[in-house]
Amino acid sequence: MFSYNKRLQYPINIKKKDLRMAKYLVTQYGGANGELGAALRYLNQRYTMPDNRGKSLLTDIGTEELGHIEMISTMIYQLMKDATLEELRAAGLDSHYAEHSRALYPTDANGVPFTVTYFATTGDPLADLSEDMAAEQKARATYENLIDLTDDPDVIGPLLWLRQREIVHYNRFKELFSYYEEKLTKDNSKIIQDKQNSIKYSPFYDEM
Amino acid sequence: MYNYNFINDDWFRNMNVNNNSYINNIVNSKLFNPTDAYNYGNLYSNLYSQYKNYRPTVLTAGNEKEQLLLDLSRIAFAAHELNLYLDLYPNDESMLSLFNDYRREANSIMRQYEAKYGPLSINSDSLEKGPFAWEKMPWPWEERYYV
Repeated sequence: MFSYNKRLQYPINIKKKDLRMAKYLVTQYGGANGELGAALRYLNQRYTMPDNRGKSLLTDIGTEELGHIEMISTMIYQLMKDATLEELRAAGLDSHYAEHSRALYPTDANGVPFTVTYFATTGDPLADLSEDMAAEQKARATYENLIDLTDDPDVIGPLLWLRQREIVHYNRFKELFSYYEEKLTKDNSKIIQDKQNSIKYSPFYDEM
Repeated sequence: MYNYNFINDDWFRNMNVNNNSYINNIVNSKLFNPTDAYNYGNLYSNLYSQYKNYRPTVLTAGNEKEQLLLDLSRIAFAAHELNLYLDLYPNDESMLSLFNDYRREANSIMRQYEAKYGPLSINSDSLEKGPFAWEKMPWPWEERYYV
């Protein structure tokens, strides 16, 4: 189960309204490389990881991503707070207003709603972890694009911080990938040596 | 259940002797102190990578309440970074001991904060007295949260 802590992982306190930036930033909430997709990706993949290392890492990073959703949502909320209809219209957010007023809704920067087709689960640890590594790199690149689009230090600070988290997560996934890859390669050579007992040498035998 | 241990740590150690790759980098890397790590968003100096010429924000507190929250966030973040590391290297005793130092300190700061300013968790002892402070306290996306 999950329980809520009434604090952000990193503080957000944006004083300047910026509707254009809110419109771009929402992609890290509900876009293809966003935090909602990240959380759902890891929290769905964790069940079929072959050992406790994988189950622990995907649970803990997936949980951290839920906290990042809250950070991004807070940024969007604060950037849009007290916006007039005129300001929303000028920023191209009148179509958002038509459906959601000033409420949060996970979309990409063009207003396309979030879809689970942004991520995959295959049940294969190497395939899943390759996707996770790519996802962290794509999110890092997106954070860099977003940093380029603003000069507000209250926005840049948290974006730099979230970008750094992508780098740490990428490296953890890469370590787990190498560990599984090595493990599988080693055990595959055993399978070739002893075909009759091959099932016993399947690296994931005890999980079947 | 089956006599096959996927998490064979002898095997894992041997693997790293043979291909002297990632684990050594991590273990020998210098850890930032919790304050720098929190500013950077990264506890591991070998993993830190700066974007363009942007330096990380140096966070400071504006009042006593904010200071306690910042202290908690810093120590809890360091513990979380070690948590992710220990998921992959559960037998690293020195990192486990550091994790436990930070974990204990974070718990203690959290209790101090909650006694003074109200609950951060629904398990908090600060909820014993009414009115129900979970509902009374501001939410972290609100401006008044930091005041």
